Amino acid sequence: MARSYLFIPGNVPRMLTNADVFEADALIIDWEDAIHANEKDEARELTIAYLESHRPENTRVYVRINSDEELIAKDSEALKGKDVDGIVLPKASRATLSLYEKLFSDKEPFPVIALVETPAAFFELGEIAAHERVHALFLGGEDFRTAIGAERTENAEELLFARNMVVLAAKANDITAIDTPFTSLKEAGLEEDCRRGKALGFDAKSAIHPDQIASINRIFSPAKKEIREAKRILKRHEEEGSMRFSLDGKMVDRPIIERAKRLLEKARLYGMTDSEDDR
Amino acid sequence: MRETSLATLLDKLPLQDGLTVSFHHHLRDGDAVMNMVLEALKERGLKDIHLSASALFPVHTAAAEAIREGRIKDVTTNYMNGPAASLVSKGYLAGGIVMQTHGGRARSLINKERPVDIAFLAASAIDRDGNATGSFGKNPFGSMGYAVEDAKHAAVTVIVTDTVLDKTLSEPEISAQDIDHHLVVAAIGDAKGIMSGTLEVTKDPVGKRIARDAVRLLDALGVFQDGVSFQSGAGGVSLAITEGFNRILEERKLTASFFSGGITRYHVEALEKGLVERLYDVQCFDDAAVESLAKNERHIAISASRYANPENTGRIIKDLDVVILGASQIDRDFNVNVTTDSYGKIIGGSGGHADTAEDAKLSVIVGPLFRGRTPLIADRVRTITTPGRDVDCLVTERGIAIHPSRKDLMEILCEKGFPFYSIEELQEISHRFTGRPVEAERKERIGYVESRHKEELDSLHKIKEE
Repeated sequence: MARSYLFIPGNVPRMLTNADVFEADALIIDWEDAIHANEKDEARELTIAYLESHRPENTRVYVRINSDEELIAKDSEALKGKDVDGIVLPKASRATLSLYEKLFSDKEPFPVIALVETPAAFFELGEIAAHERVHALFLGGEDFRTAIGAERTENAEELLFARNMVVLAAKANDITAIDTPFTSLKEAGLEEDCRRGKALGFDAKSAIHPDQIASINRIFSPAKKEIREAKRILKRHEEEGSMRFSLDGKMVDRPIIERAKRLLEKARLYGMTDSEDDR
Repeated sequence: MRETSLATLLDKLPLQDGLTVSFHHHLRDGDAVMNMVLEALKERGLKDIHLSASALFPVHTAAAEAIREGRIKDVTTNYMNGPAASLVSKGYLAGGIVMQTHGGRARSLINKERPVDIAFLAASAIDRDGNATGSFGKNPFGSMGYAVEDAKHAAVTVIVTDTVLDKTLSEPEISAQDIDHHLVVAAIGDAKGIMSGTLEVTKDPVGKRIARDAVRLLDALGVFQDGVSFQSGAGGVSLAITEGFNRILEERKLTASFFSGGITRYHVEALEKGLVERLYDVQCFDDAAVESLAKNERHIAISASRYANPENTGRIIKDLDVVILGASQIDRDFNVNVTTDSYGKIIGGSGGHADTAEDAKLSVIVGPLFRGRTPLIADRVRTITTPGRDVDCLVTERGIAIHPSRKDLMEILCEKGFPFYSIEELQEISHRFTGRPVEAERKERIGYVESRHKEELDSLHKIKEE
């Protein structure tokens, strides 16, 4: 139900120390791409010290582990017994999920956010999404672009099919769909990219800089109009005692009722249901 | 009387040991006048000088040299950093240091509590009648607010300029009748130096969070209304708050009555967009403010007395609704220190901090809960600059605290479900990150902080030589 997932490099003490003040719903502490091979041990040590002393109370914390077997083994050892909400598995595939199961088998079976970023993963997407440990699919747009040799376009047209696939696979398995980060720091482009992702069905978006969080949270929060509409639907649903009725001349049935419930749940989570406009 | 040689001018002035000389700081780190004069006084062999400067910056190396050599005996100022501040902190003054406020300095000049013998005041231009301004010439620096009372109340007033205009100024800031001598030099300094310090909105995500929460707090307290008046400084977080303040005025189609104090381009933009009716400018912090002051009649230069003198019943800040202020430390009684670091080294001073905190209806302190391993909240601040009784709110990146006496504010926030902590709770949070610091030992007294009402607020103590 998080709206924003903020990447924090695992080896930058000031970013870790202040990670709780950036207003992200979830943090992804990065041990993979942001960390040079020589600094992996330092990142693990700093992250573990951070988790033991300053783990934020109201923010979910994930760790993006490495994809190489030797490094995953070290990562799993470091995370044993640690208070994290899950791991982000890079280059998710049948093979990396098997590796994850093997290396984390006698340790904490953390929930997995599967980072979908290779062309091959799209041919296994149904299986990845259906895996019992996977609770979210996360599109890794930058690596995907590189892998397919696509050029970055202003409207991210090259990602459209991948975005649709990730949303479809996630929704088919009733798990969360997290959109790729917007890698330019231009605010205007970010908002447009967020709206595009939300319109396609993504539940949340990842961020590479704290400055992106306010826009992501605002756009991925239910709008006041949506909250009002959801409340009307559920009120009529209670009055009618039926899963199928008409409202304002439009047919309302089970999927719309379920969506209204989910939207209000999200609105409640972010303290939005009691705003003056909604009373 | 107009001179072009400082030496010739000094021959005509009543120079003697124990002289009090005054300067203003409108050129900030670009000032050349104080160094020029102090070097000339050194050649004359003057000693036991009392330096009365509205502020001292790193550029003032001649002041540092005179302090080190014992030629300056006493310093009275509102703010100091750089080598002079460092030497004063180490106990180099045979007399002592008095740290005033901007309003307090104006009061003391008017009351001749520390009479000035000669005021050497930079002006960016003089007109053909001898009137002085900061708005035109080779090195325009804008408002001359901190020089006005020196000019009026010093026994001898010398205007130092590098530009003579062939016209008569319609609204000079210092009238020729308050001036005894004019000294025309090659350069009064470099006006680019007025842009010292942080003059851009913070890019630091922690600073941005503080600014967002400060604006949210102001909104929850119902500050945003037509006619609101507002003051903020020139630090990165303060400017981010000013930007947020302006955004809300614009979105809600509100007009503020005035912004006051030090003026930046963010204040000027608000004036030009019609978001605020007037700017009361005691000091320009950048080129945009200087240009605006010269051309926009709703951008008004004011003297330090009109700005903040507690004995001036027409002072601007008595009508101030909100002021945003920084802190190097704040304590559990909400006393604020912007004068020294936690070891007692002088790193700044009140300026208008204590003046505006006392007069504004709502004073908000903003700052990160810790810098490195040093927590913002101390059991007792090293130096009291602004008494806690004048502080209403503290905004940090990890929470907001309200002064216990402001139950009215607490009630509003409770009613709106707006979260806040006690200052003790925020201190505990900071100690989770920094540990509990050990207070540095206090050595012998070197001077004191004076309130705007002439009370001694706190002592300043010598620090160790590094």
